[in-house]
This record gives sequence, structure tokens and C-alpha cells, in this order.
Amino acid sequence: MKLRHYETMFLLHPDLSSEERKNAIEKFSGIIKKDQGQIVNIDEWPLRKLAYKVQKQAQGYYVVMDFGAPGSAIEELSRNFRLDEGVLKFMTTKLDDEFDPVEASKKYAEKVTEEEDVGGKAGTEEAGTTAEGKEE
Amino acid sequence: MQRPQQNRYKRRRIYVRRKVCRFCADKSLVADYKKPELLRGFITERGKILPRRVTGTCARHQRRLTNEIKKARIMALLPFTSGHAIE
Repeated sequence: MKLRHYETMFLLHPDLSSEERKNAIEKFSGIIKKDQGQIVNIDEWPLRKLAYKVQKQAQGYYVVMDFGAPGSAIEELSRNFRLDEGVLKFMTTKLDDEFDPVEASKKYAEKVTEEEDVGGKAGTEEAGTTAEGKEE
Repeated sequence: MQRPQQNRYKRRRIYVRRKVCRFCADKSLVADYKKPELLRGFITERGKILPRRVTGTCARHQRRLTNEIKKARIMALLPFTSGHAIE
């Protein structure tokens, strides 16, 4: 079956414990894997204030999953999101029609190195501003 | 006789600094609904999307930006209007 590259973000209820959250994430990633999907990355955000209330909740936990899966898996995933009361919101975005696991995981490898040399980046920015000052 | 001179003077003074698209200037900067802090700079206090003539964003990036802001609104990362916002 052809895999496409997707990204799903969902919002979990703020009253869930860290274990309940872990179980929920495992459940949803399990659905993807069951349909021959491949998970590239799962990003759990810390508790965050929402821009507006959702089901009377003012905050929640966001989770972002980056994965490759056949289209049918998305249907099944969405159905389960709707059934689960711990999920306040969810959204799946298609990133690409083709899924290349190597290419997809590269993005996260790069991200880690980028974060590591934040100090170096700030240094170059400073150099840039001084150069601009000279021109003026 | 003084008036037209003053007008001309005024007209010459009023010029707007050419704004450059922030996304073109910095290629590593990508409009993404997962970065509401970045998108917040492109909406008004009331939550409306700022027009290109205000932010200087190019047409191509404005289209992407608009879509990402709308996605962020759906996910409760950005408000639809200030009336719905908490507080």
C-alpha cells in the first residue's frame, strides 16, 4: 500500500495524568503502525494555554506526530480521535504525497544539531548587525 | 504663493520605507501553524490577519501564512477573534 507523509496534531485534556497521556499516544500511534504506517517522530508539548476555550478547558497538552501511512489509516485514526473523550481537538495535515522514511527523519536529526549550536547562531547574528551599522 | 510650495514639501517628505518580506529575507523562517508566537506578529490585536501592505510579506508567502494562521486558529493556538479569547 502506498504511504503518504502526514502530520497529526491533537490536543489532550489538561486533567489527564502523564501516564494517561502516554497511553493515549501509544494507542494512536498503534493505530498507525497497525495499518503499516511508520512513525518518524512524536513531539509532546508541555501544558499550554489555549487561545480560546475548548470543551470548557482553557489549557491542554498538544502532541504532534509525524508519520507515513496509507490514507485508510487516517480515517481510522480520526474515528478513534472522535471516540476518545480525552482528545479535545485533532487535525491531520498531508505534508507530501510520497513518504520517504530516511528523508523524513533527516529533518529531526537536523533540528537537534540546530538546537545544539544556538550559541553559534547568535554569534553570527551579532556579526550581521555590526556589519549593517558600519554600512550606515 | 506659499501654499503650493508647502504642499510640495510635504509630498516629498512622505515616503514609506520599502518593506521586505520577512520570509524571503530569512529562508530558514517558515510560516508554520505550530509556531503561534511567530504568527502572532502577523495578526491584529483582534485576531485579524494583517494585510500584505502592512507587513510587507510577498504574495507567495502571504498565501502560505494565511493558511497556517487558519490552521493555528482551528487548533486553538491563535484566537479567531478577541471576543473568543480567554481573559
